[in-house]
Amino acid sequence: MINYILRRLLILPFILFGVTILIFSMIMMLGPYQRLSTYIEDPSQLKGGDVDQLITKYGLDDPWYEQYGRWVSGVLQGDLGWSESAGQPVTEAIASRFPATFELAIFAVIPVVMGGIWLGVLSAVHHNDKLDHTIRIFSTIGWSFPTFVFGLLVLMVFYGILGWFPPGRLDNWALTVVMSDGFTEYTGMHVLDGILNGNFDIVVNSFRHLIGPIFTLAIVWWSFILRITRSSMLETLSKDYIRTARAKGVSENVVINKHARRNALIPVVTVAGPMVLGLLGGVVITETVFGYRGLGQYAAQAAAQLDYSGILGVAMYFSFLLILINLLVDVSYAVIDPRIRLE
Amino acid sequence: MEWNEIIARLFKNKLSLIGLIIIAFFLLVAILAPVIAPPADADEVYQIPRAGWTMEPQPPREGYPFGTSQGSYDIFYGMIWGTRTAFRIGFIVVGISSFIGISVGTISAYYGGLIDEIFMRITDVFMSIPFLVAAMVMTTILGKGLNNVMIALVVFGWMGTARLMRSQVLEIKNEEFVQASVALGANDGRIIFKHILANCIFPVLIQAFMRMGSMVITAAALSFLGVGAPEGYADWGQMISFARDWILGGGDSALKYWYTVIIPGSAIMLFSLSWNLLGDAFRDILDPKLQDNS
Amino acid sequence: MNKRVVVLMLSLVLVFAAFSVAGAQVKNPDTFTFVTLGDQSTLDPHFAYDTGSSEVIYQTYESLIQYDGESVNDFLPLLSTKVPSAENGLISEDGTTYTFPIRQGVEFSNGNPLTPEDVKYSIIRGMINDRSGGPIWMLYEPLFGMSGLSDLTQKVVGVKDPKTLTAEQSAKVYAELDKKITIDGNNVTFHLAAPYPPFLNILAKGASWSSILDKEWSIAQGAWGGSPETIAEFHDPLKEDDPLYDKMMGTGPYILTEWVNGEHVIFRRNDNYWGEPAPFKTAVIKNIDEWSTRKLMLLRGDADMVFVPRQYKSQIRGEEGVTITDGYPELQNMNMVFNWDINTKGNDYIGSGELDGNGIPANFFYDLDVRKAFSYAFNYQAYIEQVRMGEAIQLRGPIVSPLLGYDADSEVYSLNLEKAEEHFKKAFGGELWEKGFSMTLVYNSGNDGRKVAADMLKSYIEQINPKFNIDVRGVQWSTYLDASVKGTLPASFGGWLADFPDPHNFVQPFLHSDGYYAGKRGQAYQDWAEETGLNDMIAKGIATQDKAKREAIYKEIQQISIDQAIDLWVDQATGSNVRRSWVTGWYPNSMRPGVDFYIMDKVAE
Repeated sequence: MINYILRRLLILPFILFGVTILIFSMIMMLGPYQRLSTYIEDPSQLKGGDVDQLITKYGLDDPWYEQYGRWVSGVLQGDLGWSESAGQPVTEAIASRFPATFELAIFAVIPVVMGGIWLGVLSAVHHNDKLDHTIRIFSTIGWSFPTFVFGLLVLMVFYGILGWFPPGRLDNWALTVVMSDGFTEYTGMHVLDGILNGNFDIVVNSFRHLIGPIFTLAIVWWSFILRITRSSMLETLSKDYIRTARAKGVSENVVINKHARRNALIPVVTVAGPMVLGLLGGVVITETVFGYRGLGQYAAQAAAQLDYSGILGVAMYFSFLLILINLLVDVSYAVIDPRIRLE
Repeated sequence: MEWNEIIARLFKNKLSLIGLIIIAFFLLVAILAPVIAPPADADEVYQIPRAGWTMEPQPPREGYPFGTSQGSYDIFYGMIWGTRTAFRIGFIVVGISSFIGISVGTISAYYGGLIDEIFMRITDVFMSIPFLVAAMVMTTILGKGLNNVMIALVVFGWMGTARLMRSQVLEIKNEEFVQASVALGANDGRIIFKHILANCIFPVLIQAFMRMGSMVITAAALSFLGVGAPEGYADWGQMISFARDWILGGGDSALKYWYTVIIPGSAIMLFSLSWNLLGDAFRDILDPKLQDNS
Repeated sequence: MNKRVVVLMLSLVLVFAAFSVAGAQVKNPDTFTFVTLGDQSTLDPHFAYDTGSSEVIYQTYESLIQYDGESVNDFLPLLSTKVPSAENGLISEDGTTYTFPIRQGVEFSNGNPLTPEDVKYSIIRGMINDRSGGPIWMLYEPLFGMSGLSDLTQKVVGVKDPKTLTAEQSAKVYAELDKKITIDGNNVTFHLAAPYPPFLNILAKGASWSSILDKEWSIAQGAWGGSPETIAEFHDPLKEDDPLYDKMMGTGPYILTEWVNGEHVIFRRNDNYWGEPAPFKTAVIKNIDEWSTRKLMLLRGDADMVFVPRQYKSQIRGEEGVTITDGYPELQNMNMVFNWDINTKGNDYIGSGELDGNGIPANFFYDLDVRKAFSYAFNYQAYIEQVRMGEAIQLRGPIVSPLLGYDADSEVYSLNLEKAEEHFKKAFGGELWEKGFSMTLVYNSGNDGRKVAADMLKSYIEQINPKFNIDVRGVQWSTYLDASVKGTLPASFGGWLADFPDPHNFVQPFLHSDGYYAGKRGQAYQDWAEETGLNDMIAKGIATQDKAKREAIYKEIQQISIDQAIDLWVDQATGSNVRRSWVTGWYPNSMRPGVDFYIMDKVAE
């Protein structure tokens, strides 16, 4: 197993190389003037000679391998470059946004997976009857409306009308507390930091800000987990040993809860990994609606501004996470199902 | 199981019948678009006509049965011609990306070894770039336009199919009948097409059905981020994105602009639902183990 | 559960058709929160040239003088104890020296006292910094009659790129800079190359480049150290290498607490402020791009003031507890720039590139009749009423209201398809009408106002003659910039936000051969402006001190730009402000970059 893990980790540099080359060559298909757009918000600020001066200043008309070389040699020295779209070095930009998104993704995964599995099992057990149809139709509705529609509705109901779950990450007063010297930001995740600092007002406040986005994500992702659980559960229910158990007169509850569900969850584990990754990358819209400054929003912003060091930084980060999560899934798969051997 | 039997079962199942009817309805709308909503300008049929210049959406009224959206775009026209766009995006993107995915997955699993390693690492590379980032960079390079959106959706949308196909083929590769053909010296092409593809294709097909429906929603997400179809192009995703700043209504009523959300929303939902129902029905029919059970 | 949730949500939406609004009680009386969109580019006053950055700089830094209330022509003292004028003798008779007596007893927020040396350092540091694409040309133009440091190095030591100056050359150049600002006791005097009527505007608060830095502190951060020999090292830095990029030290009423780009800027009160202490303990600028979220924050009272795009204002008009002020002029215009000399190389916006019915020739817009026909084929009234929701006035040339030379009664174009047809028939000796044309109007996607303008021209011009064909195409920002630099766009959209409230700041970029927009019209226009004497008129306008004479010159320039239909002059937006009714003290000033926390207070209604 250790061998397997090492081998997977050794692949990482190759993937990183592939990703960066792919992105770099895509961006370099654009001319220097087009890439200058990263640095210019309002062209009317430019005077006659400025354009060429700026091209030289940022080295935009150098051959692509020189630009790539410059970037790589920076990376090898631990410097991922300057992200113009964030106005920060790439490492800082990612480090400051990742905890926010990670916190959101982790808290969202729990209700999504639990709720999704529950609904999926329910749907499978009541295969083809009314409950099954209702669940499936509502899940399709959840899947079919664009995320921003739900996001805005959640915001309107729970913030606009009820005033419970405000947008952003913290209220102004909480922000002041978090910034103050008496509060140590260990992780950048406010809920965890609040607990570590023993300041439960912060925990409550940051939770209140998290619920809106979590709820929105849950509506959208439930149907995804539900569908997988349902089909896997249906398959398991048709397996020989279940039929044997039923034939032996084991009660239906025990069959479902003890025998079927555990086995049906294996495929769910496989998709949970990619789902976390999907959540990390796919929260752009939720983050935008809730004014929640996270990684997804940054990725979109960097891409929209063609900020190549930003895009490369995010993509490398994702490659790393992808390998890591796949590895975790493989290993946990092997732990759950002893028939699988890691080679 | 024979195809005609599959189809017969599809019609027998109530849910899949509903799915089929909805799809047939949309297909009819798409085909009859020039009759239902005659274009003003024959050169640019996908350009939604404007009822005026005002930005604020206006409710349904004479001549504009569904009202007008942000920027005075005729919602009715956009919905009718958007049906064509939905089918076009669905068929082309799902078709091509499934083809790429199936090829990569099959070759990878069948030959194994170094080829598998290389193909799967390439897949990892493509998966490492968040889809929305990739789509944004792509449209910046290629320029705005529906075709370019479709290219981006294909280039960064085949990996799921490839992985699914690979795992399917891996499972079946060691089955006796495949091994027997290998032992008998059948050539690779024959084995792949005759034995492997025929036995692995259904999960991929089911997945493709689901993706047909979700393509419209992906297009909406892209419109939201400003990299979807060009402004004013008849596309459901864009129609619902027009509602973005009006969903919460205004002044006297939270439901003041309901038509900007409900109309395109329902169309997207029905479209997606029908493909899902069809996909589910397919799975129920094709999975022999399930039949024994029922 | 899923079902229940959806049902719950829908029923809630139905039941609470109206929002519950926080009562008349003031929420968070100690904090002021302004929610807007966008972000800040930098905190360095000499680097900043965007509204977002200037807005932050405005709260913490101060300049020598400030505007008096809503006026953009009257000043009040600030760090200078007097506003120089000819009457008080602080402006010399020939209009070339300005003297400012520096206020005593002022401290920066770190406790360092303000000295005349700080003032001199600040301006010279700016002129050395002079980043490409930055605002510092506004200091060079009055002081040297040049457009930047490279012009000066070229003249003094013959070096075009200041980054290659040797120590010796640097010292020579510095000597020139040094002469322009002199200190005499407590007075700082600026020596101009020639009279420059808007010079005080360039030094007034709101113009971030005129901010006064703490010399000692700036040097400690790594900014230019005051040595004459190091110009090359400190000229035109990369943003990330600029030591003042994310730090601030001013004399203003607020101190920067935290800047998280694109999320928020938090200020705290400067308890050591030399003037009246600021009313709020904490002031916050929050950046939220989603309109609906901003709207809810305002309605809940979590935001005291929000930015509202005009098309959404109808959504909040009449809400309880919300005050809207609108209709005051903004010094900002929008026009469509005709390219008189289209670059045909690799250009896919002009069809065949010839006058054959399938494209347009390079000199399409050089023809006065074509320009006039376009100007008559635009529905100004509908644009202002429906797109701008009535919050704009039609442009009468580049100069906006209420600047010198603006005449509310001058003649302008209006939608008139008969006249447009008449001019199209005359264009190119009738050939154009005969053969027709085909072209693409390009706008940068996401800009709805520009898209509507292009659609409008398309719809009216295609009505005039079926052989006329216009495509409207939205392109990504990068493509737009690229085409705009290369000069391939047949017509492009433009606009200008005043750097300083003087007609010169509008006629120079729009009409002078060296101006930014003249570049968009190509060489043909630049020659035309030189030959017709337009350039001379602009030069005369800025060099004239007599107000009446200046006004006459600018009126004439306005008239020419309409008579010649140099561009399609669309509109000048009027401003608006949306805030909670408990906010008091706010007033508009079109030279202020956004919010001013210092002038406001929160009082229960």
